[in-house]
Amino acid sequence: MKTYITRFIQIILTSTILLSCTDVIDVDVPTGEPRLVVEASIDWEKGTDGKQQTIKLSMLTPYFSSQEQNEVVGANVLVKNLNSGAEFTFEDQNDGLYKVETFLPVLNDTYTLTIVHNGVTYEATEMLMPVTDISSVDQSIDGGFSSEDIELNIHFQDPVNMDNFYFFKFNRIGDLLSFIEPISDEFTDGNLMKESFEKVDDEDTDKKEELKSGDVVTYEMHGISERYYNYMQILVNQLGSGGLFSGVPVELKGNCINANDSKDFTLGYFRLTESIKGEYTIK
Amino acid sequence: MKNLLVIFMFLSTLVVAQEYSLSGVVTDASNGETLIGASIYLEGSSVGGTSNTYGFYSLTAEQGTYTLVISYIGYDTQKRTITLNENQKLNFEISESSEQLNEVTLTSEEAPQMALKRPEMGTLKLKTKTIKQIPVVLGEIDVLKSIQTLPGVTNGGDGTSGFNIRGGAVDQNLVLLDEAIIYNTSHLLGFVSVFNADAIKDLKLYKGSIPAQFGGRTSSVLDIRQKDGNNKEFHLSGGIGVISSRLTAEGPLFNDKGSFLVAGRGSYAHLLLKAADQDNSASFYDLNLKSNYQLNGKNKLYLSAYLGRDDFSTNNFGSNYGNATANIRWNHVHSEKLFSNLSLIYSKYDYQILLDILKMDWTADITNLNFKYDFKYYRSEKIQYDFGVSGIYYDFHPGQIKPTAADSPINRYQIDPKYAFEGGLYLNAEHKISSVLTGYYGLRQSSFFRLGDQTIQKYQDDKPVIYNEELGIYEEGIVVGEESFSRGDVMSEFYNLEPRIAFSYQLSDLASVKASFNRSAQYVHLLSNTTSVTPIDVWMPSGDYIKPQLGNQYALGYFKKFDNQEYELETEAYYKTVDNRIDYIDGSNLVGNNYIENELLNGKMRSYGIEVLVRKNTGKLTGWISYTLSKSEQKTDGSDVGGPGINYGDWYAAGHDRRHDISITGIYKLNKKWSLSTNIVIQSGRPVTYPNGQYSYEGMSIASYSQRNADNLPVYHRVDVGAIYTPNKHPNKKWKGEWNFGIYNIYNQKNASTITFGQNADTGKNEATRTAIFGIIPSVTYNFKF
Repeated sequence: MKTYITRFIQIILTSTILLSCTDVIDVDVPTGEPRLVVEASIDWEKGTDGKQQTIKLSMLTPYFSSQEQNEVVGANVLVKNLNSGAEFTFEDQNDGLYKVETFLPVLNDTYTLTIVHNGVTYEATEMLMPVTDISSVDQSIDGGFSSEDIELNIHFQDPVNMDNFYFFKFNRIGDLLSFIEPISDEFTDGNLMKESFEKVDDEDTDKKEELKSGDVVTYEMHGISERYYNYMQILVNQLGSGGLFSGVPVELKGNCINANDSKDFTLGYFRLTESIKGEYTIK
Repeated sequence: MKNLLVIFMFLSTLVVAQEYSLSGVVTDASNGETLIGASIYLEGSSVGGTSNTYGFYSLTAEQGTYTLVISYIGYDTQKRTITLNENQKLNFEISESSEQLNEVTLTSEEAPQMALKRPEMGTLKLKTKTIKQIPVVLGEIDVLKSIQTLPGVTNGGDGTSGFNIRGGAVDQNLVLLDEAIIYNTSHLLGFVSVFNADAIKDLKLYKGSIPAQFGGRTSSVLDIRQKDGNNKEFHLSGGIGVISSRLTAEGPLFNDKGSFLVAGRGSYAHLLLKAADQDNSASFYDLNLKSNYQLNGKNKLYLSAYLGRDDFSTNNFGSNYGNATANIRWNHVHSEKLFSNLSLIYSKYDYQILLDILKMDWTADITNLNFKYDFKYYRSEKIQYDFGVSGIYYDFHPGQIKPTAADSPINRYQIDPKYAFEGGLYLNAEHKISSVLTGYYGLRQSSFFRLGDQTIQKYQDDKPVIYNEELGIYEEGIVVGEESFSRGDVMSEFYNLEPRIAFSYQLSDLASVKASFNRSAQYVHLLSNTTSVTPIDVWMPSGDYIKPQLGNQYALGYFKKFDNQEYELETEAYYKTVDNRIDYIDGSNLVGNNYIENELLNGKMRSYGIEVLVRKNTGKLTGWISYTLSKSEQKTDGSDVGGPGINYGDWYAAGHDRRHDISITGIYKLNKKWSLSTNIVIQSGRPVTYPNGQYSYEGMSIASYSQRNADNLPVYHRVDVGAIYTPNKHPNKKWKGEWNFGIYNIYNQKNASTITFGQNADTGKNEATRTAIFGIIPSVTYNFKF
């Protein structure tokens, strides 16, 4: 809901002021110190055994550089189930990816991730969060930001009397960028909830962006922890950040910690989720 | 308090010869408007004073025959010989000067003869007539944009609400419209201010030494007075502009014992919208009302009201917000030496958001009832006292969510309403210590009580926020219980003594130095963690978890007049600190949060700077040049809850910091028909946070940021020009028309209002996108009066 309100205010600002204009400019930006980036998303898709898992390690690169050659090789990556004691060593693929074929996901169990990189040890702890089922997926025209464009809706029943946090990801096949959004049941506990995906025309280029009949959209829904929800809230709010009505952007610390040096934090997150993935063709 | 009063009263008791008083009211001869700050003095003596906010003055002098002079900028000076051998009551009507129609009245002190003597510092006054001559965007005459041409006054840039005084935050300004608190000063998210210039008599901005009768904000007071309405004849006036039109009616009432003024202004909906083909609209209106009734020579009643509203809607979304105020005042002249005013004031700000997507409606408001009883006692030629009492009862409704349909996914929810009472007692003395030294001693005793009913959460170690050492982030504290208060219970209470001291020392007839110290406490806070404040930010009272802000300001100034008083120079240096300034944890969630204390850290602010103002008050060319060199910083070290604080506990630039700010305003009276004006602005870009790297996550390029506000937007600059054409006036014709032409940002400078960083959807490359809100904007407005 918060996201809706902020987005609304931003839309109002950009659409009300007919005199505003935007252009792409060159800006000198500072370069931060090198940092390890951990994309450790252990997602257990419902209906699968969840044995194959991948963790990606890379380094922070200058903002306007291309992202090549920033992958991290030669690190040791280990995930441990604290409840069962089971250990899973992720093997270095020499391209920044670390893989395991034998992972055993258990809902609500707590796991730790240990990464040893250049002699420094980083550690993270998270719980594997369950997710509720999707009741239905449909499309509509008049339920979103625009009354003319199609939106895809995912309906699901939120479990009552408990705090639930979700993460959604949508991608129209062929699009470079995905739409990601964390949501909570703070104001909707126990109700039938809806998450919508709508593409709105680019105001500057007048490019037609909206969903059309025949478009294929992939979607993911994850059950996530409250801390990861808070983290993703900041991350998503800072996408395209800098507007008058967006928060002041902040240094976003991940949950992989160097226990010996609090200033040597990492970016990215160690998350464990139960997830549902699917595809929908726009009618 | 009583003891203090006695001490003050005895500060100066040198009565030698038989003294008499002269008192009365100064008004404009053409329309009966009372004149605020006209100077009344006895020629050749040091006896003199200025009319107060209700036009009342009082002088005391030894028995004798004098030449009394009444002067007011833009008006003909009146002289009259009087013989003072008893207490006398004399009302004056003075006429607008026909010679110098172009008189610009930007003054630090209303009466030139008094300016150097009085210890008032950092005070600026603008008359509506002057405001109307400064070119503005789209021809919308704007009180708040005009004060931004003065030193020490800035804002967050184009398209932002509110204004900043001497490095203070937007919520540290007390904005009063006929004494009623205005919580949101902007229409259309900062596009125009809520003050319709047609209904405004004048405004006074206190940015340095704030008189003790004002309290509750740490940075400044903007005191705006509505016109009383013409009590001689009925008049209609108005204007037709590019985005809005105005109409004002005023005239006498009750057999000329009173008068009224009704002013309305409304925008044309849809006009501003880029996507005009969609069912979007944005509009605003406001309504000003004022009336007064002279019961008899000693009693006068005033009624005034304001209602303003903004309305936005797009498909599936709607939002409206606005201020509403009403007040009733009673002026009473107890004697030649004692004047009082009693006010009862109501003020409310509320907003509503309708989200059809979620089938919900969200409302929030802040309401206050305020009573004030102010006295002015003209004890002697040497000393004057102001004293009084005030009380404000607040009712905060920070948010309520309601489902708007049976199948809404939203549950009904209300953030706890909050109640509070703010009390104030004050005493001021203005003391002419010698012919060259004047002192001003003020003391305000303020108090604040948070009242039930409310249930608050209690936290382990009383820490609503804790530092998670492991993850290196601030998180919600550990809840250990609740504490319930019932209606009327005092939940927490605060008391502060606020001394206000100033001195002026006259070096010569044309130069003086002044020094001041000012302390003020602020008990209500606007929660805003965005770059610019928004209409949906909520106000929060002090209480268990939010301490009152305490501000101290020290200022030193030098004032000089040159060339037969044609030029004036004012320079001031200030240093200001504010304790208990709230700061926000990373990713703080302020929307719909019942436990806002979980998102806040306690910090402080400091700002310092030098201001220079040179103005030319008379002649064909008038205007002013202002320059400010300043710095405004914040520091949140986390000392009370642990952890490194914000930006590792170092001082960092406040979001509204502006290192350099130059503004030049010139008005040139070409002939009887044409008057030309220009406005030149150059200022440092506001602090922003640029990314210092990128990384890939979820298949996207994510920007990584470091320290808050470590970078700056490019320098902001623009030039505006304007022209006012007044066709030949036929002396007998009642209709008076005037064309107002303007070009805003004449060389179409694309000043960055914001720079956003993101990934191009087609190429995937990161790019920086500049948004410039106002390019070159021509405008034409027609104003009329009959």
